[in-house]
Amino acid sequence: MVELFHNLALGFGVAFSPINLLLCLIGALVGTLVGVLPGIGTIATVAMLLPITFGLPPVGALIMLAGIYYGAQYGGSTTSILVNIPGEATSVVTTLDGFQMAKQGRAGPALAIAAIGSFFAGCVATVLIAVLGAPLTKLALAFGPAEYFSLMVLGLIFATVLAKGSVLKAIAMIVFGLLLSMVGSDIETGASRMAFNVPELADGLGFATVAMGVFGFAEIIRNLDAGAEMDRHLVQQKITGLMPTKKDLIDSTPAIIRGTILGSILGILPGGGAVIASFAAYTFEKKIAKDPSRFGRGAIEGVAAPESANNAAAQTSFIPLLTLGIPPNAVMALMVGAMTIHGIVPGPQVMQKQPELVWGMIASMWIGNLMLIIINLPLVGIWVRLLRVPYRLMFPSIVIFCAIGIYSINNAPVDVILAGAFGLLGYWLIKHDFEPAPLLLGMVLGPLMEENLRRALLISRGDWSVFLTRPLSAALMAMAAFLLVLALLPSLRKKRDEVFVESET
Amino acid sequence: MSDTPSHGPVKSIMPKWVRGPQDFVGGIALIAIALFALWASSDLQGMHGFSFGAGTAPRMFAVLLLGLGIAVMVVGLVAGGPHLATYAWRGPLFVSLSILSFAVTIRPLGLVLSAFASFMISALGTPETRWKETIIVGICLTIGCSLLFPYALGLPMQLFPRFLVQ
Repeated sequence: MVELFHNLALGFGVAFSPINLLLCLIGALVGTLVGVLPGIGTIATVAMLLPITFGLPPVGALIMLAGIYYGAQYGGSTTSILVNIPGEATSVVTTLDGFQMAKQGRAGPALAIAAIGSFFAGCVATVLIAVLGAPLTKLALAFGPAEYFSLMVLGLIFATVLAKGSVLKAIAMIVFGLLLSMVGSDIETGASRMAFNVPELADGLGFATVAMGVFGFAEIIRNLDAGAEMDRHLVQQKITGLMPTKKDLIDSTPAIIRGTILGSILGILPGGGAVIASFAAYTFEKKIAKDPSRFGRGAIEGVAAPESANNAAAQTSFIPLLTLGIPPNAVMALMVGAMTIHGIVPGPQVMQKQPELVWGMIASMWIGNLMLIIINLPLVGIWVRLLRVPYRLMFPSIVIFCAIGIYSINNAPVDVILAGAFGLLGYWLIKHDFEPAPLLLGMVLGPLMEENLRRALLISRGDWSVFLTRPLSAALMAMAAFLLVLALLPSLRKKRDEVFVESET
Repeated sequence: MSDTPSHGPVKSIMPKWVRGPQDFVGGIALIAIALFALWASSDLQGMHGFSFGAGTAPRMFAVLLLGLGIAVMVVGLVAGGPHLATYAWRGPLFVSLSILSFAVTIRPLGLVLSAFASFMISALGTPETRWKETIIVGICLTIGCSLLFPYALGLPMQLFPRFLVQ
């Protein structure tokens, strides 16, 4: 207990230095600014803004990234509510009732409740990370290569079960991602793999390059297909009354609490916790509501619960990253990318060797949340005005910004071309209903999986049954198999489709 | 210059026995990618004893992808699914051209010229573009980026054409 307070105090000590506060503030602001742009989700925002943190010291850079992440997420909620364009899968459910509220002229209360719910969830999750972080680090000691590998398999299966379309296609995307991650030098032998003697490929494909292509450029191209323009005109020009009424607050308080609890639990599990959290929270609210028919027609609980849940999950998803070094979703994967650029290898060692970094980041997550409430609520008017900038002017700006951003990572023009190629690939994937998010997750986990698979098999002297004979590993594998079977079972699939069908109407 | 998406019943170029063309073609593409990866990693060393060679994992993933690609294709054959989506040519073409032009010109011509040129090229991506406002916004954005990246963020980037600076 004493240790807990000591850790949090250390964290806040780091995060409250004026320069770090400023970085967090700038991050949250810029993150919201970019996240609000339609068609740019959280992943794309973090990917785009990654280069601007390169010049900073590691702690500052990660704090700024945390700010960007929260800003982007809030920006995504803003577009979901105001224009019915969810920035990322996590805010898909928010569109259901949020956009309806906006149509009724209640965009203000919807945005405010989203921010308040997120803040509450953030507070709870911060404490949870502080409490669980240290014990889970000890658990990590029980993890050998076989367990790591099984855990990653479980995480990937989790991600596919939650993906929107067919499970089969989601698994295919993960494997495609794994395959892409193989490009570059082999870690052990140093042999160049599938790099075709292109010097820029010797280090492998950059996450930022692929993410910016598949999420940034592809979304721009897709939005140009027309159709995206139509809903934008539906934005209510008037946003009356920003603050929620007393009744709104009373209605949404229990929803926020339930969402937070659900989200915190689901976020710890590896593999797209935030997505399932928001869906689960929404479905749960609808189930226990006295009058379920209000949902989808502007019920404030339908905004409060998923928003709290996805924020809680987003925050607790730092736990597997910090304790085991396994990124549970695509955004965390980018964070790993950022950490490695700064020479930090996430995992149990970081907590012991660089406590100021870990706890400073945790504290700054909380501060980032607080800042969102303080800065963004008054600024909602500005974000709305930003949304009125016509797309014909917005998209070339985004293209240029992305291009400069990618170029600045390595000062390599080839990276820009690669990102463009991945943009076209992403466009093709969208057109064929393949989801790009599992691809990115697979790409990040690829090297880790290969390394642990190699080690596990080396230790077991080539015996593949090692994954099933070690109890912890066997349990993880069994869970993965169980999930996969569940996902493929027709009855559950029907249910899952129902949730998604609702989200599309 | 007509890239208006046709909303009418799309005529499928696929034979009738393909019931879900979208998945069918998607699966074939995955198979092609997997075969390409198998070919590309064929020169790498495989297993020796218990330990993986450089080529073991890539080939493993490629074979997995091959299997999944076949599965997706078969699903497209037997289960009804959506038709192939219509592609617009204008957006993808000009956005790609713009990215390409940026990549080619950033080194020799510097940020200012390169960013502005790419901005104008990508603006061609939609027929809605109005040139006067686009030029104004392009100039403003170029100035903004020229201040933001090299100065505010301190990234090493050349602003002006190489032959002018030297």
